[in-house]
Amino acid sequence: MAGVSTKEIKNRIRSMESTKQITKAMEMVAASKLRHCQAQVQNSRPYFEILHATIEDIIRTNRDFSSPFFADRAEGKTVFIVIGGDRGLAGGYNSNVLKLVQSKIDACPNALVLPIGKRALDYCVSHKIPVLTGTYAEAAGVSIGDCFSIAKQLSKGFLAGEYNGVQIAYTNFVSMLSQTPDTMQLLPLTCDEELRKNGAESGILYEPSGEEVFASVVPEYLGGILYGTLCESRASEQAARRSAMDSATQNAEDMIADLSLKFNRARQASITQEITEIVAGS
Amino acid sequence: MSTFPLKIVTPDGLIYDGDAERLIVRSTTGDLAIMARHINFVTPLGMGKATVIANGERREAACIGGMLSVVDGSVTLVPTTFEWSDKIDVDRAEASQQRAENILHNQNSTDTDIRLAEARLHRALVRKSVAGRK
Repeated sequence: MAGVSTKEIKNRIRSMESTKQITKAMEMVAASKLRHCQAQVQNSRPYFEILHATIEDIIRTNRDFSSPFFADRAEGKTVFIVIGGDRGLAGGYNSNVLKLVQSKIDACPNALVLPIGKRALDYCVSHKIPVLTGTYAEAAGVSIGDCFSIAKQLSKGFLAGEYNGVQIAYTNFVSMLSQTPDTMQLLPLTCDEELRKNGAESGILYEPSGEEVFASVVPEYLGGILYGTLCESRASEQAARRSAMDSATQNAEDMIADLSLKFNRARQASITQEITEIVAGS
Repeated sequence: MSTFPLKIVTPDGLIYDGDAERLIVRSTTGDLAIMARHINFVTPLGMGKATVIANGERREAACIGGMLSVVDGSVTLVPTTFEWSDKIDVDRAEASQQRAENILHNQNSTDTDIRLAEARLHRALVRKSVAGRK
């Protein structure tokens, strides 16, 4: 006689099957959302490349001014923009990026976090990390306009001396199967001195002046980077969820196969036993 | 008429890629027109109507924020938002205008709210005027 009754095994198979249905559905939802996010990443890429090229050009060829955006200060707070997800069940997506942030914050005495995504906010609250604002708790609801207003607010705070730097933690979408958490320094801007020395005069006319162009393009550029990393993170979240759910479905299938085998053995055993009893009785 | 290559890119993607005869945009200091063989040039953009003239055809759009650059004869317009006049959602602009006006009329609004509302009102008015004049 088998250790577990056939009825019990049957119940477990049934519950595994409904779990499998759910994970399968989540996988398909994530896959379709992922397609949308990937298109967004691709659409926005040329915009950032051009913005970046222009900023670099100005830095390289400029001889006349030094922008306050380059200021390297010790006092003030360092802002970390943390892009996480709104929900769990996405494999290591949230924990990877939060682990990275924690290590950065530990090394930085005056950290302030601007969480994007519910998971990021929850983490800050439960670990008692000071939060700048909880307005952007829903990563899916953050629009490009929000990105620009965040960037404007942060660059204003930076120029006022309130912050001494802005860093962003996000997840890089390397491929469908691999997403790596990463941080990037937004402010102060860094400038390659070599590049600057070797840069020739470009003869570009800046209107009204190089300084003013720079001052209005930098917040725009930061907003652009923020939006770009947000798109990358969203795509990563969906990809991470898709592969997590794919392996969950796989596991459910394995378990169902295993349980079916056990079920059949138990059934066979009980039939054999019945026959033996009948034969012995006659 | 001689033409120049023009590219219009926003965070939503590439909007225009082709030759144009003239481009008129509103910069932070006023309207300016770009024609072929312009000097290398960079300027931030304000909020206003943008006009692209290509093959004798005139197309208008609401163009908000960003910058314009001319490098070696090719022109790149990098606005934050760019909507052709026939694609503007007038109802949305109307609603946005209404909301902004409410905030501006409210005595209790904070300075930040008022600044945001002013910008929103400006955008809504630009969109409406561009859409209305097609």
